[in-house]
Amino acid sequence: MAVCTGCSLLCDDIEVSIDGRRITKTKNLCRKGFGRYRSLASDRSVPRVDGRQAGIEEAISRAAEMLRNAKRPLLFGWSCSTLEAQRKGIELARRTKAIIDDTSSICQGEIMDMVIRKDIPTCTLDDVRNYGDTLIFWGCDPSSSHPRHMSRFSYFPRGEKLQRGHEEDRTAFLIDIRTSPTAKILAGNFIQISPGGDADLIEAMLAVLDGKIPRVRDKKAMISMMNRLKKADMGVIFPGLGLAYSLKGRMDRMKALVDRLNETTRYNVIPMVGHYNMRGFNQLLFDETGFINRVSFADGVDHGPVYSVVEASKSCDLALVVGSDPISSLPAGIAKALAGVPMITLDPHRTLTTELSRVVIPTALSGIEAGGSALRMDGVRIEFDPIVKSEYPSDEEVLSKILEEI
Amino acid sequence: MVSAMEIYQLTPKLNCKKCGLPTCMAFAVALLAREKQIEDCTPLLEPKYEAKLKKLREVMAPIAGATETGLVIHEDRCYGCGNCVVACPVNVANDPKGSAIGLGPKSDRVILVVEDGVVRCLNPKECRRFGPNRILCNLCTATCPSKAIEFV
Amino acid sequence: MKVTIVTFRDIFQSEAQEVDRFGEDYRRMSAVVFLDKSDAAKAGIKDGSNVLVESDNGRVVVVARISEDTHPGLAFMPNSPWSNQLVPAKTDDTRIPSYKSISATISVTDDKIPTVEDLLRELVS
Ligand code: SF4
Ligand code: SF4
Ligand code: SF4
Ligand code: SF4
Repeated sequence: MAVCTGCSLLCDDIEVSIDGRRITKTKNLCRKGFGRYRSLASDRSVPRVDGRQAGIEEAISRAAEMLRNAKRPLLFGWSCSTLEAQRKGIELARRTKAIIDDTSSICQGEIMDMVIRKDIPTCTLDDVRNYGDTLIFWGCDPSSSHPRHMSRFSYFPRGEKLQRGHEEDRTAFLIDIRTSPTAKILAGNFIQISPGGDADLIEAMLAVLDGKIPRVRDKKAMISMMNRLKKADMGVIFPGLGLAYSLKGRMDRMKALVDRLNETTRYNVIPMVGHYNMRGFNQLLFDETGFINRVSFADGVDHGPVYSVVEASKSCDLALVVGSDPISSLPAGIAKALAGVPMITLDPHRTLTTELSRVVIPTALSGIEAGGSALRMDGVRIEFDPIVKSEYPSDEEVLSKILEEI
Repeated sequence: MVSAMEIYQLTPKLNCKKCGLPTCMAFAVALLAREKQIEDCTPLLEPKYEAKLKKLREVMAPIAGATETGLVIHEDRCYGCGNCVVACPVNVANDPKGSAIGLGPKSDRVILVVEDGVVRCLNPKECRRFGPNRILCNLCTATCPSKAIEFV
Repeated sequence: MKVTIVTFRDIFQSEAQEVDRFGEDYRRMSAVVFLDKSDAAKAGIKDGSNVLVESDNGRVVVVARISEDTHPGLAFMPNSPWSNQLVPAKTDDTRIPSYKSISATISVTDDKIPTVEDLLRELVS
């Protein structure tokens, strides 16, 4: 059995037939995961130093030299690397007195912080499958972002306490702006809101829980949903990017709702982490520093918004990017600032970021060409072995060599 | 999707019973249910019905890949999410340690599997919509986010 | 036409990104904006025409598609380097960019849809 690193579900029931380095057939991979496996043979990055092709060794040495000379380096990415590579990355940040940040800084960081600090109750996806009878998908579209979420864990499968599966034993609600593919499946329980409407919805839900009349258009529907939510044996809320962006700076309202629901029955929260090991990085950095992201090692350990990738892109004098494509994913105005900084990029593929980097170090695709371990979106550790031989070093190996040379 | 009425319009309308059915309308229904083949209507193969035959082949083409149960898979629309695999009651009954609990199938008696990122139909005859005791099951289509499975 | 742009993830686009983010498939599935039917009719925008989307932060040409579902006042774009041309670089105290609620105007244009390379050239200019 192989593991898919296509998203933070880290599906570990994948069957793969291989002929040499070529993947001839796969079973159980969703379309997105299959795309990741197919990418093994497409558009791989090539080692580069100062705009010309070079050997990997030379690229590593140049990277070490640049890091040694940098005054205010930013080490960014991390959510598509193994725990082992992330550990090396944090060590490298300490050694170079760098700012370290990951993609959670521009997406699920706020709620992940609450989960990791245990400010908000959580559980595993296996618990969801076995006991989760009431689900709220909030600002997410699992069918598109985590295609096997509903079939492997949350809605369709039979569980220990839920032998009859979704038809009779589970109720799932969806709260979102867009009539997404998931909304097509959960049409009867789809609560459509307008952009930024999440906060008002939370207040309305709290009002019903307090026995007040909610200030919403469809009071009846709201009251009947809340009655259903209260009847849960175990409820689970899956907040997605929609909620993360709509409720930024006010995530305490989400906590207020979860706390209030927990006065009646058990409710847990599992953020819909995108990249396969974002949670791993957040947990590791938290264990070492007490913060999940946005840390500076310039003078001991410091944390704050100035160390976010959004700010640091403008203030750093060097960026090491590992397994991420910030030039593609940041707002253009910030990407422009980052593009003006010398960049060293480790990535299996050619990306917008590698195109603009001084040094490019091609790496093995984790899960397929490199082994290691990672934390699934629910914090469960999944280990994997490489399934094909690779000509490329893993992130971990490259970072170890850079550490040696510094 | 083409209707039985549309198919009827393209038969010779002779009600000659050569296809083994009492009427051309019955033949149209059987054709749609995949119980008969176009070629079972021998008169239709005569030159004078050439245009009708051509048109009938055209309207039947989209459902040519359908299994005996009428199940058509549109691979290009499929997410490979496995909702249908896990929701199908036959998969659940035949594969308690695999698809029943959300995992990839561990039994070869399942109907639906996901291979290379898209759904495949392995044992159409196991489908509840097939055979003398058939029932109108629709769990695989009702759980699909993208209408990638259809029954014709 | 004034709209609020909301970005989203599409599985076919994610697949194309995994396989080749410089490829034509990825561009075709990324450089699009989905419009409400009546909004588009009012603004004289037809399915398949090129449109210029402008926000305070930037502008980008993409192809217009008409949604099956109705969502007046809203326009949906897959999250991509194209939609990121419009996301404000200025953030609030949280330093989290507003990827999912961008005020923009949309108008028909004859201009071409930029390739990834065009977007990169713009960034380093
Ligand atoms: S759901 Fe995620 S981890 Fe599972 S096969 Fe699909 S992409 Fe891979
Ligand atoms: S053989 Fe053809 S023409 Fe004769 S009854 Fe059957 S369908 Fe009609
Ligand atoms: S119709 Fe029912 S039995 Fe047949 S494949 Fe679909 S879910 Fe399974
Ligand atoms: S047919 Fe539909 S439900 Fe089945 S795997 Fe494909 S997209 Fe999912």
